[in-house]
Amino acid sequence: MVDLRAAGRAPWLGAGLGAALVVALSGALVPVRDNVTPASPALLLVLTVVVAGVVGGAASAVVTAVVAATAFNLVFVVPYWTLKVNAGEDWVALGVFLAVALVIGVLVAEQAERRRAAEAREADLRVLYEQMQAIAAERARLLEEAGRVSVLERVDEQRAALLRSVSHDLRTPLSAIRAVAEDLRDGPAYDDATRAELLATVCEEAERLDRIVANLLSMSRIEAGAFQPSRQAVDLAELVADRSRRLRALFRQARLQVDLPADLPLVDGDYSQLDQVVTNLLENAARYAPPGSTVRVTARPVGEGAVDGGVELRVADEGIGVPEWERARVFEPFRRGEGSASSGVGLAICKAVVDAHGGRISVHRTPGGGATFVVQLPAGG
Amino acid sequence: MAKILVVDDEAAILRALRAGLEARGHQALLATSGEEAIGKVALDAPDVVVLDLGLPDMDGLDVLRRIREWSDVPVVVLTAEGSDDRKVQALDEGADDYVTKPFSMAELLARLRVALRHRASGGGPPLDASVLEVGDVRLDLGRHEATVGGRPVDLTPKEFAFLAFLARWPGRVLTHRAILQEVWGPEYGTETQYLRVYASQLRKKLADDPEQPRLVTEPGVGYRLVDPAERPRP
Repeated sequence: MVDLRAAGRAPWLGAGLGAALVVALSGALVPVRDNVTPASPALLLVLTVVVAGVVGGAASAVVTAVVAATAFNLVFVVPYWTLKVNAGEDWVALGVFLAVALVIGVLVAEQAERRRAAEAREADLRVLYEQMQAIAAERARLLEEAGRVSVLERVDEQRAALLRSVSHDLRTPLSAIRAVAEDLRDGPAYDDATRAELLATVCEEAERLDRIVANLLSMSRIEAGAFQPSRQAVDLAELVADRSRRLRALFRQARLQVDLPADLPLVDGDYSQLDQVVTNLLENAARYAPPGSTVRVTARPVGEGAVDGGVELRVADEGIGVPEWERARVFEPFRRGEGSASSGVGLAICKAVVDAHGGRISVHRTPGGGATFVVQLPAGG
Repeated sequence: MAKILVVDDEAAILRALRAGLEARGHQALLATSGEEAIGKVALDAPDVVVLDLGLPDMDGLDVLRRIREWSDVPVVVLTAEGSDDRKVQALDEGADDYVTKPFSMAELLARLRVALRHRASGGGPPLDASVLEVGDVRLDLGRHEATVGGRPVDLTPKEFAFLAFLARWPGRVLTHRAILQEVWGPEYGTETQYLRVYASQLRKKLADDPEQPRLVTEPGVGYRLVDPAERPRP
């Protein structure tokens, strides 16, 4: 680093300037020297020492002080133009002038020096501060970059998870369809009952494929941000009853029990989106319900009044349930339960739809074991 | 008639397979979880097991390992996963064969037939068998002579060893690693490019019909030697 204390200082310039000022001032005062006391030129000459001290530092001040004392003697002490001093009091005046000039010059120089150093330190600090600012900005940029990379990685992971889910999900019903269809075509002659059962399986699996495709389409719309409900008054009781009837085939082993009050208020929502919520919740419950258990669907009005309150729908199964720490995360896309054969988008779609309707969805423990999904929707006008 | 245990958590697949197997005179046992499958292998002693690798309670590969600890029942793995690694892993862990979803009933039945035949023959022909025959391919191990439909075929020692290894297990898939270690030696295992070259030469010498080859490539997994006459309709 540069020696900042040396930077603002110019001893030769200071001394030269001091001497020049002494000469100019003395010259200017010659015409009036007999009309004033020696104190006036002495005070003015001290000023030149001050100037030299500020500009050139202590050395300049000393040199200028000596020059000024000499000039004072030559110009203002009788006899003029000689270095001779007649009166004793003039010696005293000369000595006092020199001492005062030296002291003031050195003090002023030191002060100026200190000010320059302080300014240099301040400049130094400013540079350091700017460097730190730059480092902080760079750090923030890198953090942001890292964040972006991790987001991209997460998107990539999600995309890979989606592909895995899609291939797994589509292939499972397709397997059943293909195996059954080819066997009915090329295989042995089946009795009528078996044949009917196999054909029913094909239809059910085709419907399942359709639901998977609907979910995947919704998921892509949600991710593209183009998932707006087109609202109308929806009779949730009718919707649930209709959907339960269509999904009857899912409940061969577990029993589905639907219990909806007749006076349920209408919901202000998108019928097909809410239908998807109910479908996904029922399919999810059927998947985890053990054979012989019951899946219960109930609903009730909530809030102050039946009209401006809202509706709460509950789908409760008696399966393995959702552990406490998983409850917030089951609604994330591509999060499938332990060993689950689902795509992991169904519950994410439920949450997106319910959120878009200004409602709430959560999962709790069914008394006695299992998972209970609770959907709250605002009532319609 | 065989006793066949089908392990899958998909009700539709179970229904389809049970109907298909029973209609062909087999007895179908069903299991929907790994634990249930292990229990049924122990209690009901099935002749062959169809095992889905994606089960709710445990990894299908773990089920296979557990079964292999005490049983050599033939296992045909059923997988919806496109990953070849899982198939190879399953074969390395002792599975006899695999079928990828979506599959046809005829394809699965063909694999089950091969697995049952190997079980009946006690795991392949006797080690001192001097002649191996798969369809019209005949290999005289003592004289190192090969014929296809009675026509002599001139094979190099490595080609002969490759073909003989496949012919010991007709219809069954053998992994790249297994073939490399058998034919080239235990220090080999990843040099699948050798296999591609030899398989292509063998197909030329056997005058394989590309539509119905005797030497079938299982991409990413290995090879199998089949009798085209026994092949299920695609």
